[in-house]
Formats: sequence, C-alpha cells, structure tokens
Amino acid sequence: MLEVLFIGLSLGSILLLVALGLAITYGAMGVINMAHGEMVMVGAYVTVLSGLWLGTNIFVAIPLAFIVTALLGLLIERVVVRKLYGRLLDTLLATWGIAILIQQAVRLEFGLSFLGIHIQGLGPGLQNVSVPEILQGTLRIAGADINRYRAFIIVVTAILALATWFVIYRTVAGTQVRAIIRNPKMAAACGIDVTRVNALTFAFGSGLAGVAGVMMSGFKTVFPDMGTPMVVDGFLVVVMGGVGSLLGSVFSAGILGEINGLVAAATNDILARAVVFGVVIAIIVLKPKGLFALKGR
Amino acid sequence: MLSRRRIDWVIYAAFIVLIMVFPLIMDSFWLNRLAKYLVFGMLGIAVALSWGYAGILNLGQGLFFGAGAYMLAMSLKLASTTSLQQGSDKPVPDFMLWNAEPGAKTELCCINKASFLWLPFQSQWFGVAMALVLPVLIAFVLGSIVFRKRISGVFVSIITLALVLLVRLIMIDAQPVTNGFNGLTDLGWFKLGEFEFDPYVVPTYYLIAISLSVVLVLARLLVETRAGVILQAIRDDQNRARYLGFDVPAYQTFFFAVSALIAGFAGMLYVIVSEFASPTFMDLSFSITMVVWAAVGGRASILGACIGAILINMISATVSETEGFAEAWKAIIGLVFVLVVLYLPRGIAGLAHDLIDRFVARRTPDRTRALRVNGASSQLAE
Repeated sequence: MLEVLFIGLSLGSILLLVALGLAITYGAMGVINMAHGEMVMVGAYVTVLSGLWLGTNIFVAIPLAFIVTALLGLLIERVVVRKLYGRLLDTLLATWGIAILIQQAVRLEFGLSFLGIHIQGLGPGLQNVSVPEILQGTLRIAGADINRYRAFIIVVTAILALATWFVIYRTVAGTQVRAIIRNPKMAAACGIDVTRVNALTFAFGSGLAGVAGVMMSGFKTVFPDMGTPMVVDGFLVVVMGGVGSLLGSVFSAGILGEINGLVAAATNDILARAVVFGVVIAIIVLKPKGLFALKGR
Repeated sequence: MLSRRRIDWVIYAAFIVLIMVFPLIMDSFWLNRLAKYLVFGMLGIAVALSWGYAGILNLGQGLFFGAGAYMLAMSLKLASTTSLQQGSDKPVPDFMLWNAEPGAKTELCCINKASFLWLPFQSQWFGVAMALVLPVLIAFVLGSIVFRKRISGVFVSIITLALVLLVRLIMIDAQPVTNGFNGLTDLGWFKLGEFEFDPYVVPTYYLIAISLSVVLVLARLLVETRAGVILQAIRDDQNRARYLGFDVPAYQTFFFAVSALIAGFAGMLYVIVSEFASPTFMDLSFSITMVVWAAVGGRASILGACIGAILINMISATVSETEGFAEAWKAIIGLVFVLVVLYLPRGIAGLAHDLIDRFVARRTPDRTRALRVNGASSQLAE
C-alpha cells in the first residue's frame, strides 16, 4: 500500500513539475501556452545533448536546461505572445503553431538534415539518458522499496515548488506578478512595467518546464513528440486547482497523481488516465473556477 | 443590386460547381483523396459553426467525428466478407475471434461480455442512424450541463478536450469490443439498395460532394435565421443577450448539437471513403488540426473554414509526395498558423471579404450618382 501511495506521489510530483510553469504563465499572464510541452521536450534534449557533447550528467543539465528554455521562452514572448495579450484562445492557437515549429526544428535538426548534416542526439529517433549511479536502484524506507529516481523527482519538485513560492510571494518581482494577476491595468497604473514583468514571468515559467524536461529524460524515452500529452496534463492540473493559485496546483497535482496511482494499481494505466480525465471534467463542471479559486474583482 | 450577401451566394454556387466538375479532370486515386478532403471541409463547417458563430471553441470535435465514424464502421465491419468467414453463419468481427476465450460461442450475442452491443449493427441503417444520433445526444447532454452552468470560454475548451481524450482511452481499453489501438479495418462497402459504394469510383465522390454541398447551404441558411442572429448576439455579449430575455443555454446547446451532428455525419462519410475507423480520430492533435483549418480559412465564415480545410489538405498531400519535404511542410504549417493568428485573424475569408467590400465600395458611388440623376430627371418630368 505504501508503495502504491509513493508511486502516486511521484506521479503527482511529475504532474506538478510540468504544471508549475503553466500555473505561472496561464495564471499570471492569461496565456495558454501549448508550446509548454515542447519546452519540456527541449529541456530533455538539453540533457541528451549535454551528456553526449559535454560529457556532463543530469545535475549539470538542470541549470543548463533552465537557461536554454528560459531564453527560448523570452524569444517566444517577444515575437509572438506579446501581441496576443487579452486574446486567450488566440494564444492557444498561436502557441500550438509554435509547438509544431519547435518539434520540427528538433526532428529536422534545425533544417541541417536537408544539407546532409546530422547532429548526434537530435533527429526523429528516440534518445536515452543514462542516470548517474547514485540515482539508480531502490531505497528501503519503512519496509517499502522505493525507487531512488522517483524519490529524486519528488525532492526536486518540492525544491522547485518552494523556490517558485518564494519568488512569487517573497520578492518584489513576485509581488508585481501577483499585482498583474489581479489587475494588469491597475498594476500598470501603479508604475509596474507590465511588459517587462510579463516577459520575465514567461521566461521563468518556460525555464521551469525545461527543468521538468531534465527530470523526464531520466525515466522516459526522449523524442520530438513527447511534450504534447504533458501539456494536456499540466493544463488539467492548473484548471482543476484554480487558475492563478499555486497552492491549488500543488493540491490538484497531488490528488490526480494519487488517483492515477491507485486506479492503475487496481486496474491498468489506460483506465487510470481515463479516470483522471473523468475527475477533472467533473470538477470543472461542478466548480468551474477550480478548487482554490482566486477571489479577484 | 450587387450586395455582399448576393456575392456570397455566387461564391457558394461557384464552389459547389467546382467540386462537382472535379471528377472530369481527376483519376480515381485523386478523387478518393479529394473526397476525404471534402469530408474534412465538412469538419471545417462544424468548427466554424461552433467557434465562429457560437463562440464555443470545442477542442474535442474529434469526439463527434469519431462517434460518427465508429457507429457506421461497426455496421460496415459486420458487412465485410471477413466477418462472414469466422465459422458461424452469422457475421462476427474477426478480431473478436482472435481474442475469444477458448470455448466461447462464435456468435455476436456471447463471444465476449460486451459483444452483444454489436447485434443491432447488423443492419446498416441502424449504424447510419446511430452515427447521427449519438453525436447529437452527447452534445445535447454535455451542452445542457455545461451551458446551464454558464461555463464558457476556455473552460468549455478544456472540458471538451478532456472528454475526447477520456473517450479515446476507453475505446482503446475496451479492446474486445472496439479492437483497441488498431481500430476497425477491413470494412465492407456502404450500400444504397443494390448499389455498393466502392471508395474509388465516381458515384462515391458524388455522394460526398453532394452531402457537403447540402450541409454547406443548410449551415449558411441556418446562421441567417433569427436563431442564428441571436446566437451571434450571444457570442458577442452573453450577459446582454441574457438580460434581453433570451434563453442563452438553449441557443448554445442547439448550435453545439448541430455542430456535433455535422461532425458525426462527416465521420460517417469518412468511413465510407477511407474504409477504417481508428482511435486516432480522437487524438488531441486531430481535434486541434481541425481548428487550424478553420482558423486559416476563416473562423467566422462557413465556406471559408470549409475551403481552408480542403486547401490545406490538398497542398499538404501534393507537397508530401516530394520525398523529405513532408516534415518540412509540417513546420511550414506551424509557421503559417502563427502568422495567420497574428496578422490574419479572420483568415482567408476575412481577406476575401475585405477585397469584396472594396470592390462593392468602388462601384457604389457610380450607382448613387446614377440614382441622383434618375431622381433629378423624374423631378423634372413632374
């Protein structure tokens, strides 16, 4: 039983890992970023490439992936998203286009494959990342065998969630972000540089996705299409938790992860995912604002 | 008089004539392909109706398409010769036998626990009826709940998205009845009396082309009715419409269901030309791709969305034949899509309308001058 709960917890932490960035970009900026999953994918590829070309391990890849995806996020915000604030559904569509572009860029090795140049680690094929030895095998805690890598994911997620909480609730930039969540126009009137804060927020959210990608690469195969199902899961978590509520995302990720783990243990993985979708639909229908609705004006 | 509405109808007529003459210039291979794209055009209409006119961005249109497809595919599967070669005098789908428990009776009633669901599908017309009824029923129930609770905007999109993925997973999991990932293949042909619709012959193309034309014209007439106009008022400002005394959820549910009906009908036709039904119809990417077609063609234009779907598919089919270019084409589609959302939010149809407006505007001064001259002369005559 403890093992099942643990698996549920680790599934929940993976959900949260993906959802954290979305909770920020969607909650704070009103941007449905369908390319978020591709940020995760890019993060995973950073791990693959840094392992192949720099010989570094997964720990080095974490800050590297954060920087790469944050810069990519900054670029996307500058070029596309900035023009679409206030047009929620249009951001969804435009970022879907961006998602396809990023996928194809990886698949076609930035177009170099047409010239016959191939970069090891890119391309349409599957990639694998080897995990350092400390993270392999299992731990025995309270009589239950616990996979070390899953425990590592839970720890990293907890750290990231705390860091995000700190940034949003304990720093000046975070206060500005929260002011923008409540009322962008009023925030601007109070002298907050909304454009700049939005750009940085988007970059931060994307960076978190990149770190999520590094964690994914340790236990999942890395390939260009890997991001799409993740962005869906991430959105379900954010919407169920309540848009703009970090705590809501944490709780809903935990709940969905445990449901997924328990149902999967009782039946199978496919049915478990189906039940998760069912729960999310029921909650959105019953409480459209999510479990932890932000009381705005 | 050359009003914009009249120009619109001329363009509709031109489009219908165009798709009717295609068989004269195309071989049967391309005709079959084109028939599929016309079906996608019908999906474009369904998206335009719910997104452009009702303001409901349904990211689960694939659910209705898939429902329509599976319902007819079940009937056509039973009509297939492979289903009659399973050691029973009554048809039994081959995949059921492959997975049957040892000693199970080779009959639809009891080969596995849920196979009895297939029994009524022995009649093709039951399949056809279900392909139309089921999507409408799902949309009606879903719409009644969602719109009565005043859920709108992105939340509707997320609910529809989660629902289509949920159903997709159930279809995959219910392997003994649905053949899971593989879907229903080796289907028989659709029959109308004695005539069998071979997917590669001209009459099948006309079945699709005529269906599309009828749906196109009906959808256009529907949005011009009073209900259609009220719907657009709701899209523009729900609360205003509510305060004016209109039953907002009823209109939304009705048009949501009509959109589902069109998508279900499209799914059914797709099965006739493509001879398979699979869970990929309910993939997230397919549902979003439909929205892409409609957005490029023009979300607020029924014909625009339809042409968008057909054009994109025709171009990608042509381009994909060049080896190695297929993947690059996907990237181009992604780029085009970003550009359309940024710079051409009303799509091709919006562009066309602007051109027509300019054309009409240029003619108008002449006409008013002529009227004035006429008026002056009639005054003189008095």
